[in-house]
Formats: sequence, C-alpha cells, structure tokens
Amino acid sequence: MTTSRVSSVIVCHACDLAHRLDSLAGDARVRCVRCRAELYRTNDRSPDTAIALAVTALALLILANVYPLVAMTVNGSTQMTTLIGASQAYYEQGYWVLALLVAFTTVIVPLIQVLTLLYVLVPLRFGRVVRGQSLLFRMLNALRPWGLTEVFMLGAVVALVKLSAQAEVSPQVSLAAYGLLMMSIAALSSATPSEQYWRWVKAQREAGSPA
Amino acid sequence: MTTPRVATPGARTLATGRSLGLLVCTRCRATVRAIGGQQSLCPRCEAPLSVRRPHSLSTTAALVITAAVLYIPANLLPVMRTHEILSDEDDTILSGVISLAHQGSWPIALLVFFASIVVPLLKLVALGDILFAVWRGRVRNPRQRSRLFRLVEFVGRWSMLDVFALSLLASLVQIQSLAIVQVRPGVFAFAAVVVLTMLAAQSFDERLLWDAATHG
Repeated sequence: MTTSRVSSVIVCHACDLAHRLDSLAGDARVRCVRCRAELYRTNDRSPDTAIALAVTALALLILANVYPLVAMTVNGSTQMTTLIGASQAYYEQGYWVLALLVAFTTVIVPLIQVLTLLYVLVPLRFGRVVRGQSLLFRMLNALRPWGLTEVFMLGAVVALVKLSAQAEVSPQVSLAAYGLLMMSIAALSSATPSEQYWRWVKAQREAGSPA
Repeated sequence: MTTPRVATPGARTLATGRSLGLLVCTRCRATVRAIGGQQSLCPRCEAPLSVRRPHSLSTTAALVITAAVLYIPANLLPVMRTHEILSDEDDTILSGVISLAHQGSWPIALLVFFASIVVPLLKLVALGDILFAVWRGRVRNPRQRSRLFRLVEFVGRWSMLDVFALSLLASLVQIQSLAIVQVRPGVFAFAAVVVLTMLAAQSFDERLLWDAATHG
C-alpha cells in the first residue's frame, strides 16, 4: 500500500470532517468547524524555549527527589517523607502495583518526558535529526495523559489537611520544587504542540538536504 | 488531487476523510492519502494507519464494564485502617470524605467527593451512554456527546487524587507508639477503576460517534 501526505486538506481526527487548508487560519490554534476539536496548534518559536523549560523541569525534578516532601510532628516526634517515600509506602505494605503506579505517574513519566525532549530537541536545535525520533515522539504522545504532577500536588494538599487535624504538618523543599515542576511541565507541553514539533523537523530536513 | 468541498458551518453535505479516501494518523494527526492494501505506516511518524482504530468499540466496552464492576468494591471496601493506641478504624473513600467534612474542611471535602465519587461515576455513565448509542448506530446529538466525551477525558485523571493522598498518609503516619496508617485492598479496586476508565477513554475512537450520527 502506498501512502503520501496530503498538504491541501486536513481531516479532523475526532469527527473525520475534511477541511481545505486554505480555508483555515494559518497559525496559532485551529479548530474543527463541526466538532470543535483542536486540529493543530503551532507557536512558530524556535526549540530554544522548550529546551530551556526542559532543563528547568529536570533541575526541579532532581530537587524534588533529593529533599524531604512533608514533615509531621506529633508529641515531639517528627516523621518525614520524600517523593519516592510516598510510593515506597505502598510497596512496603505489599501493594507493589500501586507503588509502581504512583512512581510512574509522579516521577518516571515526567523524567522520561523531559529527557526525551532534550534528547530530541537539542540536536534539532543544532541542525540534526536524531535516530528513532518518530518512535520517541509517539512514545511522548502516549505518555502525555499519564503524567499526573498536578493531581499529585492536590493529593498532597488533601493529605496535609487531613493530618493537620491531629498533628503539626509542614511542607518541605521538595513540595515547593514539585509545585514548580508541575508548572514547568505544563509550560513545556504547551511549548511543544505536536504539529510544531513536526514543523521543526521539516524545517531541519529542508535546511539539511541540498535543494 | 481534486479539491474537496470546503467545510463550512453552513454547508449541507460535508466531505469526510472517509468519503475522500483520506486517513488521519491517530498519533501525529497527519492527513494521509492511502491507496490499496491493508496495513501501512504513517509517512510522517511511522505509526500504523487505519480508517478507524481497530476494535475501538469492543475494547472500550470491555474496559468500561470491568471498571463498572470494580466501582462497587472500590466504594464498599475500606481503603485504609488507622491503628491507634485504643482503637482501630477502617475508612472507605466515602467515610474519608465525611471525616474531612466533620473536621470542618468543607472545600477539601467537596473536592475529594467530586474527584473520587462523582467523577468516576460520571465517567462510567457517560461512557456507557456513548457506547450504547454508537452500538445502536443512532447518535442523535453527536455534538453534545462529543463534548461530554471530552469532559470525561479531561476530568478523569483527577480521580487519582485519593490514591496519592493515601500514599502520603501511609508513609507519614508510621509512629509505632501513636498511630499507624495501613493500606486496605479497597484502594486497589479504586485505582483500577481510575486507570481502566482512563484507558477506556483513550481507546475510544470519537469518529464512531459521527459515523453513527443520524444527522450532522
């Protein structure tokens, strides 16, 4: 079977409606006229913003994993926990699947996202398309719904409120770092819409190959 | 290539990808012209292409049914046990909400109530309704149903809230002489409901709603 990309028509991924490309506004955010699904989004920036955000997120992720997350004091004795300690609690009580789920959605997915983007975008910035970028890109898309940093933040708030009735609880460095991580991940995903990514690749390929 | 009819809000008959012989890559959303044959890969991101996601309806249905069954133990079984010097106390998801409310933290209690009880139920009912309508082949209001589907997809992840809160409680409250928080099996069923409904939303091909639309 032969396939070729069509450049004059965009078919909506959510309702299958065909749109002639010249009937759509050229940039920013384009929606389907029938079902309002986002057809594509671009920002026409260089990968630099995304790289900077990824580096920031990586630094915050390290901070969030090194320092304690929350401390609790009852009758003079203090108990601390860390980010990994949270999933460890499930593991120690025999719920290793839940431990894996918590570690995966709070630490592993953000880490993979950030490292993969750096691995792909830094060479792209300097005019090279890395090997396996299609596979990595598809992996990033598949992982996107499973990064639950913002949900974990709110879960931490709920736990703190619950405990504050019986004990003195105080948020630590890691929680602040994690809150900032949440924001930088959100900024990172809005700086790297998938269509923009493919435009960067295309621009690079066109610049690389002799016309 | 012939130019298709322009899709405008006023047009009466609209050209679809299917009617033009065009496919959309489910991964990178490139529009692709594919001629003949069965299997092929997206020319842009190399993902396998298909007209509709294969087995979308049955996969989604299987996930929703499993999640619906698990919703019962998720709500009836205790998710945690608090050992204190004089007493042991079991908490379900709902009793956790109630004790938050007793404590006076109304906004947080309401938040957990929505995230842990209302959202999973809404997801199951909404997905069940959508699947049933598609299965019957008559979707009367695809626009509302697709809006509902996207809402479900968007809020679904927030149900993990309690799983995270409990992980922190269980790792902090481990003071032998005072209190210990133990995880109970209910949380396993609960987390399974959240993960299964997230997978269900991801495996559903929204275009099925529009294929079965009675008008649109």
